[in-house]
Amino acid sequence: MKVTIKQWTGVASWKWVANDDNCGICRMPFDGCCPDCKLPGDDCPLVWGQCSHCFHMHCIVKWLQSQPVNQQCPMCRQEWKFNNK
Amino acid sequence: MANIAAQRIKREFKEVIKSEEVAKCAIKLELVDDNYTELRGEIAGPPDTAYEGGNFLLEIKVPETYPFNPPKVRFMTRIWHPNISSVTGAICLDILKDQWAAAMTLRTVLLSLQALLSAAEPDDPQDAVVARQYKENLEMFKLTARHWTNVYAGGPNVNPECDEKIKRLIDMGIEEHQARVALSSYNWDLERATEQLFS
Repeated sequence: MKVTIKQWTGVASWKWVANDDNCGICRMPFDGCCPDCKLPGDDCPLVWGQCSHCFHMHCIVKWLQSQPVNQQCPMCRQEWKFNNK
Repeated sequence: MANIAAQRIKREFKEVIKSEEVAKCAIKLELVDDNYTELRGEIAGPPDTAYEGGNFLLEIKVPETYPFNPPKVRFMTRIWHPNISSVTGAICLDILKDQWAAAMTLRTVLLSLQALLSAAEPDDPQDAVVARQYKENLEMFKLTARHWTNVYAGGPNVNPECDEKIKRLIDMGIEEHQARVALSSYNWDLERATEQLFS
């Protein structure tokens, strides 16, 4: 028997590899997006701090903006530095 | 109310309902309005403290900027504690002020308040009268706190001596709570309390 493929559709799944299921700031799942976004993925990325804690980028930026003096990780209170690795 | 605040409170509410502390009756959380801006909390007085056996109600107001700013929390149940105003129920606790962090939740706030009842900070007082008594006469402080827990929070420890002194002042025409405050402030010295009330 000979089969001729006329068309095919690829399906892939993805998930963020984070050390937790939910964002500690908005408490929404990392595989979803922050409450201000509609679609998860590159438009609502995750970021890591050097302390290894992870948040939606939009959430941590809002938190840092609300802290005029000490920019600390909301989980461990270490000074917040983005981990660029 | 801002989207993020309401959504987060909804999730936190479920989280508290399912928590083991609720199962152990140590904390409780109820909604006051439908838009998740006001809640009512309840904490059990910790064992081996003057507050044991009492249940303390808390007013919780969630600001629109939550969780970037802390919830506003106040004791509705009257309490005798160095870091809680015996008049207004206002609380002096760092995490409800400048030490708030967005990762904290209503559950951790309730547990922190319960911890505050076990470990007062008399050097950072909200109620100076209570704090002074705590530092100068710890036994008198415990007796007073236990009495207030009995009267206002449903605690089991009745103190007939306190009740009797309050009754004496009521008989002189003083309102009950006012009498209790005066006696509590003067280490249950009936003479000095009377003097202060009639001066």
